[in-house]
Amino acid sequence: MKAPLSWLKDYVDINVSVDELAAKLVGAGFEIEEVIHPSDQYVNIKAVKILSMEKHPNADKLQICQVDAGDSKLQIVTAAKNVAVGDVVALALDNSRLPDGTEIKKGELRGVLSEGMFCGGSELKLTAGDYPQAGIDGVFIFPEGVKPGTDINDFLGTNDVVFDISVTANRPDCNSVLGIAREIAAVLRQPMKDTFALPAMQEKGKIDASLSVEVRDTELCPRYLAKMLDNVVIAPSDELIKRRLRLVGLRPINNIVDITNYILFDIGQPMHAFDYNYIKGGKIVVRRAEKGEKIVTLDGTDNALSDQNLVIANAEEPMAVAGVMGGENSGINDATTKVVFEFARFKRDNVRKTARMLGLHSDSSARFEKGIDYVSQDLALIRTMQLVSRLGAGSFVGGKIDSLKQEVAPATLCVKKEKIDEILGIDIPTEEIVRILSSLQFGVTEKSGEFTLTVPAYREDIVGANDIAEEVIRLYGYDNIVGKPLDGKKLTQGGRNRKDRLVMQTKAFLSGFGGLSETFSYSFVNPKFMDDFRLSEEDARRNVIRIMNPLSEDVSVMRTTLTPSLFSICATNYARGVKAARFYEIGKTYFPKAIPVTDTAIEKETLALAVFGEKEDFFSLKSVIESLAERFRIALDFTPSDEPFLHPYRQAFISVNGKKIGYIGEMHPAVTKQRKFDEKLYVAELDLDVFFEYAVEFLPFVAVSKFPSIERDLALVVKEDVYGGDMLKLINQTGGAYLRSATIFDVYSGLGVLPGKKSVAFNLLFRKDDGTLDGEEVNSAVDNILKAMSDAFGAKLRD
Amino acid sequence: MLEKIKELLSKCKQSADLAESSADVNDLRVRYLGKSGEYTGLLRGLKDVAPAERGAIGKLINEGKIKIETLLAEKERYFKAKEEEKKLRSEKIDVTLSKGASIGSTHPITKVKNEILDTFIGLGFAVKEGPEIETDYYNFQTLGIPADHPARDMQDTFYISENILLRTHTSPMQSRTMLSQKPPIRIVVPGKVYRADDDATHSPIFNQIEGLCVEEGISLAHLKNMLEIFAKSTFNKDTKVRFRPSYFPFTEPSVEVDISCSICGGKGCRLCKGTGWIEVLGAGIVNPAVLENCGIDSKKYSGFAFGFGIDRIAMLKYGIPDIRLMYENDVNFLKQYK
Repeated sequence: MKAPLSWLKDYVDINVSVDELAAKLVGAGFEIEEVIHPSDQYVNIKAVKILSMEKHPNADKLQICQVDAGDSKLQIVTAAKNVAVGDVVALALDNSRLPDGTEIKKGELRGVLSEGMFCGGSELKLTAGDYPQAGIDGVFIFPEGVKPGTDINDFLGTNDVVFDISVTANRPDCNSVLGIAREIAAVLRQPMKDTFALPAMQEKGKIDASLSVEVRDTELCPRYLAKMLDNVVIAPSDELIKRRLRLVGLRPINNIVDITNYILFDIGQPMHAFDYNYIKGGKIVVRRAEKGEKIVTLDGTDNALSDQNLVIANAEEPMAVAGVMGGENSGINDATTKVVFEFARFKRDNVRKTARMLGLHSDSSARFEKGIDYVSQDLALIRTMQLVSRLGAGSFVGGKIDSLKQEVAPATLCVKKEKIDEILGIDIPTEEIVRILSSLQFGVTEKSGEFTLTVPAYREDIVGANDIAEEVIRLYGYDNIVGKPLDGKKLTQGGRNRKDRLVMQTKAFLSGFGGLSETFSYSFVNPKFMDDFRLSEEDARRNVIRIMNPLSEDVSVMRTTLTPSLFSICATNYARGVKAARFYEIGKTYFPKAIPVTDTAIEKETLALAVFGEKEDFFSLKSVIESLAERFRIALDFTPSDEPFLHPYRQAFISVNGKKIGYIGEMHPAVTKQRKFDEKLYVAELDLDVFFEYAVEFLPFVAVSKFPSIERDLALVVKEDVYGGDMLKLINQTGGAYLRSATIFDVYSGLGVLPGKKSVAFNLLFRKDDGTLDGEEVNSAVDNILKAMSDAFGAKLRD
Repeated sequence: MLEKIKELLSKCKQSADLAESSADVNDLRVRYLGKSGEYTGLLRGLKDVAPAERGAIGKLINEGKIKIETLLAEKERYFKAKEEEKKLRSEKIDVTLSKGASIGSTHPITKVKNEILDTFIGLGFAVKEGPEIETDYYNFQTLGIPADHPARDMQDTFYISENILLRTHTSPMQSRTMLSQKPPIRIVVPGKVYRADDDATHSPIFNQIEGLCVEEGISLAHLKNMLEIFAKSTFNKDTKVRFRPSYFPFTEPSVEVDISCSICGGKGCRLCKGTGWIEVLGAGIVNPAVLENCGIDSKKYSGFAFGFGIDRIAMLKYGIPDIRLMYENDVNFLKQYK
């Protein structure tokens, strides 16, 4: 909301500096986006009178003018044709700056000194709507009466300060100069000036005689107020209106349109002016559009309407989309002689819905979307009558038509002082509360600790004690609130839940001696990953959740795997010259419960890891995962797998208790090549939700055996394609009660082993908890193992 | 006999002085004290000594033997020590070399998140998490933001379908919790949130922590105290907290919360644009309408709620100038945070 200081002063005396006022507004809840000094756009530009003109000796099209700049005489060279001796024109002097940022310095033009440059209307950011002569191609000639030497800011009224205020959604009433002025009056403890006296005007005839209004949907249009103006003379507005419109960023057009725009900013009431000639049948009907009905709006677009849209129609067709935009057919033009002004309240959410549906946005719809109260229509009507009278823009037809038959009674509230104190946590004196609420135009009476309040009609945001507490504290000052501990309140048990705790421990483990760097990447990715990763058509990871309005295609689907993100991180770092790195991320993967998505998703906590560099291989990454599993006492199985983005012979599924929870492997060179990643990249991904199900956080004490152990080494020859892990598993299953551990310490093929075979060497450790093991017991266990290995894998002891 | 003892003792001493290693010393021990050693021979000669003198001579021989043993032991210790030193010297290493540390790194968002959670856990808040893909109902409606409410403009929302969206804040967990749990409630909810925004200070994804406390008689003063504890523990003990009036549909009164600038301590600098204050979070008293929406008696109970961006706190705390650095994952950036 832009509020010029001079305009605010219509309503309230402002006796503090601009900075102080800004600080006070911020303190009351109005953030100042910017304090604008409009005169900054015109630096050193003045009105000068042309005293003489002579032809330039070296240029046919140039003239040399001697001008009176008030306090000095200057020589200006110009090519302008529209000026004559005696004209007062706009001059950019030496060291001046135009609104577009152009800086002007004195200089020679074809050998003749020019101490500045004459400016045209467009260079001064003026149009024919501001001044007819601003529309002419040539130098801007000031109207009569402007003295030579006058600074253009004094002429344009730009020697002002404009506050650009960010108004929160609960305060629609403050999207107006009047609303901001009310707040200023309250913070400065100044009275509001009464500016709503009805002007003395002659009215002729009765509006009812030539116009009727029918509101068919009172929910969407709780109030429709119409006033008719006859004998309209379309003309430019006066200087004050034009100046103020420019200050808030609007272009003056003509008196009638300017009045509606002026009042939108002044009172915050959007208006519409209909040319009476287009109100067919002399009838205004406020109704929902019929299906298939169309309207061409002022911006030239053809809109197909539905019964979700409210229209202002005449007897035959829509003339305007209610609160949004007028139709091309019913607007004000130079031939207009009779005007009907509309002052209405439309339901805010419907205006918002319609504006979005039709893609039509206007200052009016923006204002209606925020919400309009019931009194702005009356204030806007009075202001309209004052302005019409001042501008002599026409004569009003007697009476008005108002669809609101009964005045809306102001809301009342009873609030205990105790309640206000309880919400704020401090004790504010009763007199202060009364003073503050009165200054905000509440009707206040107080009796034994209870306030009875009449809420101003424009404060529809005030519904209860919390709202009143907020009004009080924002003017009393939030700095007066002193922190108070939760003494005497009930105790609650704080802490992390199991999953959060396990995630934290996992991160501590990986980021610690695991040597991995934790990463954070976007949860939405480019759907291209599915093809880049060569996922089959049936792959569940293709079942992505799509964002309807993504920032771009690159970030348009919710990820179903973290590996592409980590691959991308590796590729980016690699491209920056990083030769080795270890990364991980813990984040969600997202799967729909059903398509189309009508509910929350299945969100799986997922861990992904990626490592590359000279020292890395499949097993260096596998060791990280095995260590993590051991940290939580989880037994993992690694079995051959067939992920299409991994090296077909260097990958494994990871499972726990028979459930597949992820994979590990070397990235397929065909995939790494896509990002010019020339190293071997090892990746793994785990479903942490399932992984954590098996995490053991507590194990009771187990006595440590004091008896000696016996070790045996076995070298077994098997076919090359037998998996060592399978052999180990079988050893553990058949090794008997005393087998404590079995590990593979060597795998050998070559000299001494037949081609197509390999020798796998195991170290076995046996121990008894309650006595010394004897050799026979161990021998029998080893025999069992050998038999099982022979049966299952054709394994023979190596010679 | 006496001369013989003396002679042997001095001979032994001379040989010992000439020894060069513990092996030499060992040889001497065999030569003099071994079974057929020269000195051992003296004892055998004792039988030829007159019986009256035998006792005295025997004693002298024994004393001499002890002298020799002591002498040789001393020599042996000397050489052993010298030889050990020689061996150890040969094993000397350059202790200034290194195989490199193998420590990883923790993302600054995780670090800051854990610090903040620990603070609130200590104050009795339990950590909760909620879905990132949320319903319009929980993300907006239960929080007092119906469809076509102007407050929806405050947050640019990513939609999955008409009623499903990426949560724009962690606040839906306020209503989810209040619908399933009775007061007293104290929770903190960390998590990712999403807004259609992308520049140096806004990432389309960022991390928030939501706090909620519902009980009888909760006031803005309680909120201020909690946030003061948070600010002091997250930044430093001199950090101050300031409230400014604001608006959120689900709190009333609502405040923006500033902390005194972590760089200049409030004197004014570039970070705080000369104001001495930095906006860090939004908060307020839970709107009674939200309590009622969740089946909590707003006449009996009240509460405070707050929500802030972890990313922003991390940027302030570490002086990270651009939020996008945190999602770029340059290893040299990540490695700064252990």
